[in-house]
Amino acid sequence: MRERLSKLWRTLAWSWSPASERESSEAIVKNFWLHWFPVKVARASMDFNYSFWLGTASAALLAILTITGVMLMFFYVPSTERAYGSIKDLEYAVSFGRLLRNQHRWAAEGMVAVVFIHMARVFFTGAYRGPRAMNWLVGVALLFATLLLSFTGYLLPWDQLAYWAVTVGTGIARQAPIVGNTLALILLGGNQIGQQTLLRFYVMHVFFLPVFAWILFGYHMWRVRKDGGLAAIEPLRNARTSTPRETPAAKSYSLFGVTVGTSVAVRSSMQLEERDQVAASPNLIRRMMLVFLIVFNATLAAALLFNAPLEGPANPAVTPNPAKAPWYFVWLQELVASTTIHLGPYTVSGALLGGILVPGILLAILAAWPFLDQSPREAEGLWFARNRNRQNLVFAAITGAIIILIFVGVFLRGPYWRLYWPGMPRPAMPTLM
Amino acid sequence: MSNLGHNYGTVRIQGDDPAVNTDRRRLLRIVGKGSVLAAFLAQLGAAGRAFFPNVLYEPPRKFNLKRPHDYPVGYTFDAAHRLYVIRNANAFHVISAICTHLGCNVQWKGTEFDCPCHGSRFNPDGTVISGPAPQPLSWFEANESPDGFLQVDTAEPVARGFRFVPPNLKA
Amino acid sequence: MEQPLKPSPDSYEARDFGWLVAMSLLFFGLVAIGFWREYRTEWGPYQHEFPEILGHYGKGEEARKFIPGIKQIWIPQIAVTDRCITCHLGYDWSAILPPSLAQPLTPHPAGDLIAKHPFEKFGCTPCHGGQGWATTVNAAHIGGPGWIDPMLTPALAASQGLTMDQMMQMRCNFCHRHDEATPGMDVINRGKTLLRKRKCILCHSIEGRGGNTGPELTYEGDSNPELYDFSRVAGQKTFFNWNVQHLMHASRITPTTQMPDYNMPIDDARALTLLILSWRRQSFPPEYIPAPSEAAAAMQPTPATTPSANAPEHH
Repeated sequence: MRERLSKLWRTLAWSWSPASERESSEAIVKNFWLHWFPVKVARASMDFNYSFWLGTASAALLAILTITGVMLMFFYVPSTERAYGSIKDLEYAVSFGRLLRNQHRWAAEGMVAVVFIHMARVFFTGAYRGPRAMNWLVGVALLFATLLLSFTGYLLPWDQLAYWAVTVGTGIARQAPIVGNTLALILLGGNQIGQQTLLRFYVMHVFFLPVFAWILFGYHMWRVRKDGGLAAIEPLRNARTSTPRETPAAKSYSLFGVTVGTSVAVRSSMQLEERDQVAASPNLIRRMMLVFLIVFNATLAAALLFNAPLEGPANPAVTPNPAKAPWYFVWLQELVASTTIHLGPYTVSGALLGGILVPGILLAILAAWPFLDQSPREAEGLWFARNRNRQNLVFAAITGAIIILIFVGVFLRGPYWRLYWPGMPRPAMPTLM
Repeated sequence: MSNLGHNYGTVRIQGDDPAVNTDRRRLLRIVGKGSVLAAFLAQLGAAGRAFFPNVLYEPPRKFNLKRPHDYPVGYTFDAAHRLYVIRNANAFHVISAICTHLGCNVQWKGTEFDCPCHGSRFNPDGTVISGPAPQPLSWFEANESPDGFLQVDTAEPVARGFRFVPPNLKA
Repeated sequence: MEQPLKPSPDSYEARDFGWLVAMSLLFFGLVAIGFWREYRTEWGPYQHEFPEILGHYGKGEEARKFIPGIKQIWIPQIAVTDRCITCHLGYDWSAILPPSLAQPLTPHPAGDLIAKHPFEKFGCTPCHGGQGWATTVNAAHIGGPGWIDPMLTPALAASQGLTMDQMMQMRCNFCHRHDEATPGMDVINRGKTLLRKRKCILCHSIEGRGGNTGPELTYEGDSNPELYDFSRVAGQKTFFNWNVQHLMHASRITPTTQMPDYNMPIDDARALTLLILSWRRQSFPPEYIPAPSEAAAAMQPTPATTPSANAPEHH
């Protein structure tokens, strides 16, 4: 039965089936779409338990966001007069428009989460050591690009949520020392949020940031290949080699060859034996398809179940009470709301401390960590390696703190940003009628 | 020696002929490369400069409100300009409604200003009672325009305690 | 050297195959649900029913010409995009369809009012409120988060102690603000009479005229209710209720106020409140603004509502 089903599946969808190892490898080498995959892939890298395929999931989300985003561009008008109406049209008058917007919205929020969890995975497995440090940096840049994409996209519906979240966000930028006001002027195209701001955010959101993210993504993938695949193979390699590893100069690339220490070279499979590996085609590709399908399904299900929020049209005269940032920035909002320090006559604004310095320092430490990490290389590619305990705990503590701040901001903050514990009645805000 | 030109195997590029490769040529090369680089950087700068607006589609920083005698005694919120006009007998002052923390509109609550965004609270004179606001609310210069309107200049912050008494005010 | 691929029970194919099939089926299922949701519209059944009803009343020709789909009245001059008629299909068939026809197909009552305010010039929401963009019942009638103008219903009006007709007059006055009195707008006319009788502009400035003891009221209908003190307001926390109570007993609501306690009957307070809340920032092209003389002439036969000549007027 299973074989018959399998055969049916093959004839229906998977029309190509390699008859030999050679045919399988040729499929990779000769195919334009597949040539950036390795011919063989280590069994260790294929494990769901090691990577959870979070990088692939992020790529799937980026693909969904690009496709749905380009579709949305056909219907969205980046003008203060018409932006809100064009979103209403998407919701009510464009066929499948609501589904499209919902999927874009949930894929975007999902991408912030998945990219972060992917980074946490890389950290907890210590998979950023040696030549992989470069790719960690690229990953940090990709996380930053993801957050910027979310932030710029947030303004576009031109509703109350958008207007005031961006007021708060650019208010933080304004607090940056020395360059703050200039930065805000360039971001807003003026002193207040207006048509110029909307257009600038739009062009950033639909062109510069996606292009930047896609180029970085390409480089990220290329580095994964050139750095020898996932760090999951390192424990195996460490076990196989008694002598210190040396980069085999089999094949080196200089195009984007940002080389620190060792040259960028194909390191994969050097110490791996036949039984440690499988042909990438079809095993890797099948599994990638599976991950893509899971992500498509997750965003589609979310889009069918939950509607993307849309408040009343932007009104500079009325600040919503409270005005909350999207959940992935709420922890920053918590920080800016509680870190203002008074030292005698001097005052340090929470916007500077909690909005710029704290996240800036966190980002800087994150970027520099591969170069500061002193743990032994034997810990590479292992989940929660014992000799990485201390740094894993610190990472988990910071992540936990951020999650707690997000929880407090999203669920416990009420009017005037006061704390309301669950079950505590919140004052009803007066309405017009 | 001559490492300015490129020697591709045995083929000599014309410019590499030592007899021709004079100081003048070297200078021209530097000037040539330099001007390309400078032009490129200048264009980059020009592209960047375009992002600094020269005119703003915004209300001007100096504007007229209503006539002074139109204001009741007390705090009047001007939603269009996001500020409060405060009249005390015949004296006027203008306090910004924009929270110094992150720019939300503060609300006058009869005895204090409250900010809905992060809970900053301000005294009637704009100084901070509590919350994350780092500075007191700005005070703006108030004046009377020649045609008799209350004129505010948000580009001109004034010290707390500033008062404007319109000379021709009918009490 | 050609090596045949040996399928083994622990191969990735064996492990992933079932999942791949399941996910593919789920994908298909979700897309199918998406299609089902898209085409199972709330308005579909009404549009199916409507031609039959037209046919029943002898309009077979029109019934055959009926094209299903989202229908809208778009009036860019006054920023109206009203899709109400996607369901309320009988709206302009009052000549044929009986008023007893069940909603949403009930024809709009014809008459002088509609003759003066044709659908193609005014749409639906300027009078009725609600969210014109929407094509689902709840979103169109209630509006959803942040929507400040829900559709007027008898229930909503009753919650403020009003009839729906009275509440709608508030919306009429968006345009008719500068009429001294308008035929058919009894409660707003009463409010305007009270405004003059109580000499509100002695203290309050309205459109550049009036005193300065109290706050300006020109655009009072646009106020942010959060700026008002509700701590001493009994009952609903609505701006409407605040104004009603404040007009009756100002000192109870704001003890520091200089406004006298008028102790006026609640109906008067409601009439005045409706008038005050109708003062919103609205812009209409000149042809939408009613000529004052017309309205005044129409009011001549009813001396009871004619304003006294020496009362201060806000227009």
